[in-house]
Amino acid sequence: MTTDKVETPARTAGAVADELYLKCIRCGECLSVCPVYRETRIETLSPRGKVALYRAIGEGDLEVSQVYASRLYTCLMCEACREVCPSGVELDVILNQVRADLAHSGLMPDSLRRLSETVVAAGNISGEDNAQRLGWTANLESKPVGLDHGGQAEVAYFVGCVSSLFPASYSIPQSLVQIFEQAGVNYALMGNDEHCCGYPLLLNGEAERALEMARYNVEAVRATGATRVVMACPSCYHMWKHTYPELLDNGELDHLEILHETEILADLAREGRLRFKPWPVTVTYHDSCDLGRKSGIFEAPRDVLRAIPELELVEMADHHENSLCCGGGGNLETYNRELVQSLPRRRLKQAQDAGAKYIVVSCQQCKRTLAGAARRERMRLRVMDLAEVVLRQAEGETDA
Amino acid sequence: MLDSKLPPVIDELKSIVGQQYVLTSPEDLVAYSYDATFTSARPNLVALPANTQEVSEVLKVANREVIPVVPRGMGSGLAAGSIPFGGGIALPLTRMDRLLDIDYDNMMVTAEAGIITSELADAVAREGYFYPPDPSSDHYSTLGGNVACNAGGAHCLKYGITGDYVTALEVVLADGRIMRVGGKATKNVTGYDLVHLLVGSEGTLAVITEVTVRFIAAPKSERTAEAVFPRLADAGKAINAVLSSGVGPAMLEIMDETAIKSVEDYLHLGLPLDVEAILIIQTDGDEADVVRGIETVVEVCRQNGAREVRVAATPEESEELWRARHSISGSLGRIRPNKLGEDITVPHSAVPEMIARIKEISARWDLPIVIFGHAGDGNLHPNILFDKRDAEESKRVESAVGDLFRAAVEVGGSLSGEHGVGVLKRPYLEMAVGPVAVEMQKRIKQAWDPKNILNPGKIFSPT
Repeated sequence: MTTDKVETPARTAGAVADELYLKCIRCGECLSVCPVYRETRIETLSPRGKVALYRAIGEGDLEVSQVYASRLYTCLMCEACREVCPSGVELDVILNQVRADLAHSGLMPDSLRRLSETVVAAGNISGEDNAQRLGWTANLESKPVGLDHGGQAEVAYFVGCVSSLFPASYSIPQSLVQIFEQAGVNYALMGNDEHCCGYPLLLNGEAERALEMARYNVEAVRATGATRVVMACPSCYHMWKHTYPELLDNGELDHLEILHETEILADLAREGRLRFKPWPVTVTYHDSCDLGRKSGIFEAPRDVLRAIPELELVEMADHHENSLCCGGGGNLETYNRELVQSLPRRRLKQAQDAGAKYIVVSCQQCKRTLAGAARRERMRLRVMDLAEVVLRQAEGETDA
Repeated sequence: MLDSKLPPVIDELKSIVGQQYVLTSPEDLVAYSYDATFTSARPNLVALPANTQEVSEVLKVANREVIPVVPRGMGSGLAAGSIPFGGGIALPLTRMDRLLDIDYDNMMVTAEAGIITSELADAVAREGYFYPPDPSSDHYSTLGGNVACNAGGAHCLKYGITGDYVTALEVVLADGRIMRVGGKATKNVTGYDLVHLLVGSEGTLAVITEVTVRFIAAPKSERTAEAVFPRLADAGKAINAVLSSGVGPAMLEIMDETAIKSVEDYLHLGLPLDVEAILIIQTDGDEADVVRGIETVVEVCRQNGAREVRVAATPEESEELWRARHSISGSLGRIRPNKLGEDITVPHSAVPEMIARIKEISARWDLPIVIFGHAGDGNLHPNILFDKRDAEESKRVESAVGDLFRAAVEVGGSLSGEHGVGVLKRPYLEMAVGPVAVEMQKRIKQAWDPKNILNPGKIFSPT
């Protein structure tokens, strides 16, 4: 029998926890679902490859280096591998730990370091003056009522950086506030009191910096008087719902209900506060990683779509827990733009194969990524956020 | 010696496959050092060719300089057949993944070797056809790798193994020449059957670059039954009773109690945890035959000690059972960090005897041995679970493996049904096939690869 050299105890580069890699028996199942591997077909960029590198560090067979860092930052953090791993390997846990170590030892790639500095300095991911966060309200017909909540709001709407600051995404918050107003939801906007949720910092391995953001944002919501907070961005939602309670570790979010737009929209539809005009199109729904696989919200958005008369909802080959990341996750767009541009093609093809004319998403980042790729690839597919669909199809009060 | 040979040819290799597709960093070498076994060894470099011409050029350089070349698919092998123990060039075919042609008139499909097997199977399935060979890894292994190891799978009981479907190959020889063998004629006795010499040759004779396989009409209907046996020995007997009942199941798989627990821990399907074995049995064909067949299966299992037999009510339920079966191997990491998965194959009448012997061996060496596999064709996957960091335990694993192989041969079986010999079964080859057959195989190797550069040291020792 041939064996490896006998392992030596873990050495350097932070504490490599052997229980995190020993479960990996290298079967290769994760290769079948990893968006980066499926595109590149290069083992080093696969989940199994990353675990092997981590293991090699732990066993003293590899030195921590820039190349090591680059491989472990080349990940969408979509967790598709974790979902299918028969052995229960948690690559996300490994990467969070490794990235924290790399960040502390100065090995975070420059582009990501710049992103972190921007978020910390400006309070948002674009680096603009945080006061610009309400730019999207400028060309609405009437000023959103949520700006004058007087500390008496029922729901705080946490808009998120992309929707606040990237004009191509403005229509998502624009749609959502109009829906809220039509349906009589008492909501609040926080404007420049809102900061980045901290997700990009967490992905970079900087949990302490993310905690600062959590503190700002929890305070901003408190000032609105709301007992519920809603986000259209699944990453912000995932941070609020799952990471903030861990980071804050003081139970102060226990009395706050944290919701995603899809949940509020599904409730409004179910309660009859939203009614829809028929829309005879074939639509597929794209589960974003942070909302679907990582947060378990699959049916709320589908319930809304099913409530639209004549709409035919079809599923792509990979859906629900096995959804294929659009390519926009995990700060990878900042780190390796060229790679990310090649990733959405497979997803768009799946939508086409399913016979869909529209891909409905509930994530501004998925929308940017998929819509941009559809344009580049000249594919006849339209990408819309669920809020945009709802506003388009909602029967106004005059029609009701 | 390799250390001095390689640096001068790196630029040459880069000019062949492209700068970015020659990988030399320690990180990349680690990632190409393993397969799905517990062993590993780093190559000196990795070259990722995009087409047959590039493979040919790489081999010309390697043959000239006498540098080992180890072809590789997705590294899901279970015999350490694609691990570069002697260093050299790792040659993954993964970038060559195009589906080239689906010929519906002849019912054959041609693809580059690096295509993922399930992608090829899905492509023909979309038109109502069926490519049966289905290794559990079919969605993370390549067609070329399947051919090189003559992979099997659950459907092979009724439909045959990969080699039964291969009709033509394009390969690159050790000296870089490109050769096409076979074709689309279904009968062909024009000279030696080189197609089937290359099938199962584990990358030791040539690099497979393109494959043509047959496909068939998809069965119209199927049913899956799950039979639960309090006693493993009864499950063994039931296997033979089902096979001799005249039903002709499409698949007949076994999982023992450890396999059940391991996979239940992963999938939470509600599998019974208080029994020694489950058989999963599928019939397929025309609806009436399928229903009649599964009724017989249910009856036969009951008569042979099954506590409960359940027929899946929906395709989703059936799919869940098969997902459980496919996930066993990967789920074993939940129990111990390492596993040695064998794939001995015995005449199916000897399955109960073999199961009993595996249990004895497990007790003798005080090692957990999980039993699952393709019980219907006698192809069992006893997996020894261990921790290779424990040197004493690893020695016992070696002894247990020897006993397993001896037992398989004694009951009239073979060392490998579908994984290949690689390195892990190499010490036992002569015991299984005899010295003359080993000698003849070495001569074939010598004729095809006189400088011994292609996956050296696999199947048999070089000397």
